[in-house]
Amino acid sequence: MKAGLYISGIGHLALIGWILFGGMFQRFEEPTFQAADVSILTEEEFAALSQPTPVEAPETAVDVTPPEAPAEDAAPVMPAADEAPETPDTPEAEAPMPPQEAPDISEADPLPQPQVDPDAPVTPAPPSQEGTTIVTEVAPRPAPRASDRVAPVPVAPSEPDTEIAETLQDAVQPDENGETVEEEQEATAPEEATTRIVTEHEQEETAEVASFAPVSSRRPPARPARPARRVETPRETPAPNPLADVINDAVEEANANAASTRPAPAGPPLSRGEKDALRLAVQQCWNVGSLSSEALRTTVVVAVSMGRDGRPDSGSIRMLNATGGSDGAARQAYEAARRAILRCGARGYNLPTDKYNQWQEIEITFNPERMRIK
Amino acid sequence: MNLLRKLTSVLALTLVFSAGAQSAFAQESRGPLRIEITEGVIEPLPFAVPDFVPDSAAATELAQQIGRVVAADLEGTGLFREIGKEAFIANVTSFDSPVQYADWRAINAQALITGAVSVTRGGRVTVKFRLFDVFSGQEMGSGLQLGGTTASWRRLAHKVADTVYSRITGEGPYFDSRVVFVSESGPKDNRRKRLAIMDYDGANVQFLTDSSSIVLAPRFSPAGDRVLYTSYETGFPRIYLLDVSSVQRRELGAQEGTMTFAPRFSPDGNRVVYSLSAGGNTDIYVLDIRSGTPQRLTSAPSIETAPSFSPDGRQIVFESDRSGSPQLYIMSASGGEARRISFGPGRYGTPVWSPRGDLIAFTKQNQGRFHIGVMRLDGSEERLLTASFLDEGPTWSPNGRVIMFMRETAGAGGVASLYSVDISGRNLRRIDTGGAASDPSWSPLLP
Amino acid sequence: MRHLKKTFLVVALLGLGACTSPGQYGNSNGANMDGSDASNPSSPAYFSQTVGDRVLFVVNQSSLTDEARETLNGQAVWLNANPEYDALIEGHADERGTREYNLALGARRANAVQEYLLSKGIAASRLQVVSYGKERPVAICSDDTCYSQNRRAVTVISAGGLSS
Repeated sequence: MKAGLYISGIGHLALIGWILFGGMFQRFEEPTFQAADVSILTEEEFAALSQPTPVEAPETAVDVTPPEAPAEDAAPVMPAADEAPETPDTPEAEAPMPPQEAPDISEADPLPQPQVDPDAPVTPAPPSQEGTTIVTEVAPRPAPRASDRVAPVPVAPSEPDTEIAETLQDAVQPDENGETVEEEQEATAPEEATTRIVTEHEQEETAEVASFAPVSSRRPPARPARPARRVETPRETPAPNPLADVINDAVEEANANAASTRPAPAGPPLSRGEKDALRLAVQQCWNVGSLSSEALRTTVVVAVSMGRDGRPDSGSIRMLNATGGSDGAARQAYEAARRAILRCGARGYNLPTDKYNQWQEIEITFNPERMRIK
Repeated sequence: MNLLRKLTSVLALTLVFSAGAQSAFAQESRGPLRIEITEGVIEPLPFAVPDFVPDSAAATELAQQIGRVVAADLEGTGLFREIGKEAFIANVTSFDSPVQYADWRAINAQALITGAVSVTRGGRVTVKFRLFDVFSGQEMGSGLQLGGTTASWRRLAHKVADTVYSRITGEGPYFDSRVVFVSESGPKDNRRKRLAIMDYDGANVQFLTDSSSIVLAPRFSPAGDRVLYTSYETGFPRIYLLDVSSVQRRELGAQEGTMTFAPRFSPDGNRVVYSLSAGGNTDIYVLDIRSGTPQRLTSAPSIETAPSFSPDGRQIVFESDRSGSPQLYIMSASGGEARRISFGPGRYGTPVWSPRGDLIAFTKQNQGRFHIGVMRLDGSEERLLTASFLDEGPTWSPNGRVIMFMRETAGAGGVASLYSVDISGRNLRRIDTGGAASDPSWSPLLP
Repeated sequence: MRHLKKTFLVVALLGLGACTSPGQYGNSNGANMDGSDASNPSSPAYFSQTVGDRVLFVVNQSSLTDEARETLNGQAVWLNANPEYDALIEGHADERGTREYNLALGARRANAVQEYLLSKGIAASRLQVVSYGKERPVAICSDDTCYSQNRRAVTVISAGGLSS
């Protein structure tokens, strides 16, 4: 009798634990990241986003500050050769990046959004060591690559003829025999980047340190190529447990009850993945490269109101708070933050419409502490 | 089974209550969504400079040249990237016509600079420009109009670029400035050296002395009107004061039987701090330019040299080998006790105080390599920006953001050139002076 | 009188000649053998080629080596025997250092030579020092075979001062 009680007690405890905690894991989703929209706006819609009033013929420039010519160097000892203003050479010349081309302006049917996992940069697979012959040459340690662009996620230089966009896309050619009809797309790749600024001194340092990693090894047999480098739109992973349905129903009911006082349903709170997606999206456009060192010590909190389509209302962007710098530095930091919000939000952020009330008002803290002299 | 179902519904209800309570709680205190961004990107900001609009055919070439210099200045900082004209969708044909922001957004130009140039008879040039924040769809600040002579058109272009640079980055301007340096020629064992002056970007090189005697390490005055340097024209190294506009010079602080070198101005331009070598010992002295009276600041049997004032004129950083090898020290501008600030491996020299007052740039020599580096006033946060066979002699841009220095290549055919690097270590660039060059010194911003 | 002094000097110097090492000042300088001048023991050519007009230093040092002292002994003797000549001592450094410090180092080296010569009885009024830092190398390759030649103090003789 007592044994049975114990067994069922433990079983129930286990069940409770599993329900409480197992449910959490099931609700975790892949972070979705989409900054490049497939649906394309018309010119009018796009223009309608900006200030509705066109800039009238502005009055002629306000300030008149004539810099007088400096006192000419009188009679230099020897006549000098007049130098042409040559732009000095840039020692680190990476693969040249093609200029941006205008996108096609035409309405397109909304297609299943191709999602690409942003955490898979195009880097060559490191030589695998499992079950391969190891060549014992001493390999030069890869030196940190200096690049014009520094971003949290390192990106290898892309093929020369790929456009620069926020996400990775393969070129899609219409396949005559293909069953699926997909729109032709240009190959795009994120702009190449490294994770930190590399000074000449650091490059030299790491080049000198030889590593004992094997120079080469036999590669494992390649996986059969997948038809398209795309990840399916993440679906809600089906709950294998029928109990979850019960719980879901109950939760929705509770929410509905609580929300009945509110005009619009708020839905469940934004998942961490959705918040991360927003954060990553804004991050990509937050360019601190042109901020002064004082502005890089200033943290600003910026508020913005969003439209239902995920686009920020540019008139609503305002600075709530600034710490760590003078007013001028705060202004600079705020402008960079504002640019970030507007640029990456130009086509709308990928936020769930059914949770609109959760993200209608957003406060973003821009803290550049980790970006200082990386 | 029935029991199980009852239990689970009880559990579900408890869960629901907590969830409901949570959501209710969230409902009541639900404020805006809050996220924190701590990582961003560092990339050159793309900008576009359509050709400046000339008001007449006579101004066409000048308008184009001014636009090119503005673009080169910005791109030369490494913080901006110009979008070439071939990518433009729209074109600016009139300075006052409204900006089609969508056209510039489409090519990802984040900043747009439009301008107009007019030339009058009598050699006067007027430049107007406006700066636009494309993605915000509005002008950044108000437009400016600048005037000058045709001969000084480059200065006008630099002033335009300075305004754009300052508005976007928040840094102080620095393009409208000059650099005095030593122009070199000839083989390594018979170098001909002469003083020269140029725009910071290498244009308008002019000579201030001939090459009949060795000249070294010229330094600009705080007002940019005079230059101190060391010359061997008497057969001994002596310091001279040269007036840039009249090219007249006079000797300073000479004492029989001594050598003087490494002079630098005080921030008020009235005093000169320098090194004097007598009896084999080198110490630091300061003299008042008007009275000429020298005052000794250090008296140690070791070598004390390469002094540099702080921007407030109260302290001096210098190089001394009193510890056995050359290191950096800071003392009061009236002399006295000095505290050491360099502690890394190797030998430290040529310290220069940043115009912002918070950093010291220096030359470091370690294991056969030379580096240009910066450190805080207490020696912390030492960062080496460059590495090569021979780098030395850093000088700061007027806004304290860029360091220019000399780099000499190895070998019998080694030559020296001027390089600049951003304080972050990025954007290392060679400056074309039309020949070999060394010992640069950056002027303050020209008024 | 003078001739007696000179013959005496020649004899003395011949005796000392074995002690000086001709390789002191490198390879390039010994090539110019002007027979008539160098054979005259009172000529500057003799001074620079036979007596040895330069001493070398260890990197970053300004102390005199034993070799240096020997050469300087010879210089002192010559200078004492030829009072109509003054000497300008040039101090130099190799290129592996910063400009101002090398000027100061060259001054130290020149001063070390000057003090030694003073201790050998040369009048102070006959001696001057100058430093060229790294501005006047004699060897321009970028390794220590050249650097070592540049770390030097050179005693340059010039006619001037009292002529007795």
